[in-house]
Amino acid sequence: MATVTNWVEHLTTDVDSSTEGIQVAGEIYPMVGTEGWLLLIGIIFWLAWHVATGSGEAEEQSKLARKSPGSNAHKSNITEW
Amino acid sequence: MTDGLDALTVIFTEFYYWITVVLMFLIHVGFCMYEVGASRYKHHQHTLMKNTILIPLVTVTWFFFGWWIYWAFPTGPGIAPSIMTESSGLILGGGFGANDVANPMSSIMAINLNDHINGVFWAAFLLFSWTAASIVSGAIIERITTFAFGILAIAIGSVFWTIDAAWGWHFDGWMVKLLGYHDAYASGVIHAIAGGFALGVLAVLGPRIGKFSSSGEPRNIGPRNPWLVCIGLFLIYTGFWGFYAACNIPIFDLGPEYGMEGVTFYTATNIYITPTTLSGVTMNFLMSLAGGLLAGYWISKGDPFWTYSSGLAGIITASAGNDLYHPIQSLLIAGVGVWVAYRMHYWVERKFKIDDAVGAVAVHGYAGVVGLIICGFVLWGYPSSGYGDAYAAINPMGMFIGAIIMFGVLGFLPGWILAKILHASGKLRIPRAVELAGLDYNILEAAKKDEKAVSSASR
Repeated sequence: MATVTNWVEHLTTDVDSSTEGIQVAGEIYPMVGTEGWLLLIGIIFWLAWHVATGSGEAEEQSKLARKSPGSNAHKSNITEW
Repeated sequence: MTDGLDALTVIFTEFYYWITVVLMFLIHVGFCMYEVGASRYKHHQHTLMKNTILIPLVTVTWFFFGWWIYWAFPTGPGIAPSIMTESSGLILGGGFGANDVANPMSSIMAINLNDHINGVFWAAFLLFSWTAASIVSGAIIERITTFAFGILAIAIGSVFWTIDAAWGWHFDGWMVKLLGYHDAYASGVIHAIAGGFALGVLAVLGPRIGKFSSSGEPRNIGPRNPWLVCIGLFLIYTGFWGFYAACNIPIFDLGPEYGMEGVTFYTATNIYITPTTLSGVTMNFLMSLAGGLLAGYWISKGDPFWTYSSGLAGIITASAGNDLYHPIQSLLIAGVGVWVAYRMHYWVERKFKIDDAVGAVAVHGYAGVVGLIICGFVLWGYPSSGYGDAYAAINPMGMFIGAIIMFGVLGFLPGWILAKILHASGKLRIPRAVELAGLDYNILEAAKKDEKAVSSASR
C-alpha cells in the first residue's frame, strides 16, 4: 500500500539511467496505479449527491407548500434567545 | 530540482500561486456575505447554503473535467491550428496538452515530486470558476432550487467559462490568434460570460413575487442588511487582488521563449505570456477602483449599495487592458463602464421585467462587455502575443466579436437553454407557497419550538 517506505531510497530512484540519482519517482500518494478507479468512485459519489439532495429538497418543499404558511407567518417564529 | 536558481524560481512561483488562492477565498467570503445581506430574513440560510454548495460542486467537477477542457480546447476545436501541435484538433498531448497536464487519471494531478506548479495553477483557475458561478448565484436568489443552481453552477464554473478561457485566455487560444482578443484580467472571460449566463437564467426564472406591480412598475426589494452587503463587497475587492495576481506569471524569461537568441529578459507576464509589471498593474487596479467608486457615487447620488458595486464594476471594466493602460486611462475607463452598467440595469429591468436581485448582470456582464469594447480601441494595434505572425493585433472589431462570444454565445445562450430544460422538468423554481413562506420557514419554526422548550425548562 505504501508508495514510499524509505525516503532516501525513494529520492534516489533511478527512473532514467541517463540521469541516475537526479530524477525521482514523483508519485508519493498511496495506491499509485489506481487513479482510474479513484476517478470512477469520485464521479459516482458526485452524481449520487445530486440525486440524493435533489429528491430531498423536492420532498421538503412540497411538504411546506402543502402547509402553505403565508408570507408573514415566519415572523412569529423569529427567535429571541 | 537540483539547480539552486531553478529551484528558487519554481518554489517562488508555487508559493506565489498558493498565496493567490488564499486571497481569492475572500471573494467567496464576500459573495456569501453580500448575498445573505441582500436576501430577506426568511430566506437567509438557504441563500447562504446555495452559494456555499457551489464550492464543492465546482471543485470536484473542475478536477474531473473542467481543467482538462481548458487545455484541450484552445483550437476551438476546428477553428485555428495550435502553435504547439500545428493541428486544429483538440490539444491532447505535446507538452501543454490536456492529457499531459490535466487528465484526472494522470499522476501529475496529485502530489508529485516532479511537479510543483500544476496543482496551484489548477487551484487558481478553480477559484476563478467559483467566482463565475458565484456571480450567477447572487442574481437569482430567493426563488431558485438548490438542485437547479447546482447544475447551473457546474455548467458555468466547470464547462462554459473554461471553454472561453481556452479560446480567449490561453497563449494558444484561437480568439487571440484570429481576433486579436485581449483580456488580461478577465473583463470578458469571467465577468461578461457570468453576467450573460445570469441574464439567460433570469429570463426563464422570472422575478421574485412582488418585484413588479400589476402595471409592471419595478419595486425595490432593498438589501435587508446593507452593512453586510458593503463589507461583503469590501472583501470581494480584497480577494480581487488575489485574482489579479493569479492572472500573471510572476517570473518568466521571455528571451528564449520568444526565440531571441542570446537575450535574457526576466519579467512578470500576463496569461498570454506578454510582459507587464506587477507594480504598474497595482496602480491600475487602484485607479480603476477609484474611477468606479467616484462614478458610482455620482450617478447613484451616494447610494451605498451602488457605490460599492460600482467600485467592482470599475475594476471589471478596466480589467481587459489593465496590463497595459496608463493609470488615468484606467480611471476614466472604469467611470464609463459604471455609467453604462448602471443605466443598462434599470433600462433592462423596466423593459424586460428582469429581476436581478444584486445587479450582477450589470456589474459583471455589462461592465465586462463595455471593458472589452473600450480595450479594442485603446489598445488598437498592440500585439496580442509575442509568438509571431500567427496572431492578429488587438483591434476594435475583434474585441467586439469577442464580447459577443463571451456575453452571448458562451454566456446568455447556455444559461437560457439550461434554464429552459430545468424549467420544463419542473426543477428550476421553488413552489410559490414556499417562496411566500420563506425557504427557511421550517428551520425558523423548529428554532422557535426549541426556544420555547428551553425557556420554559427549569433544569
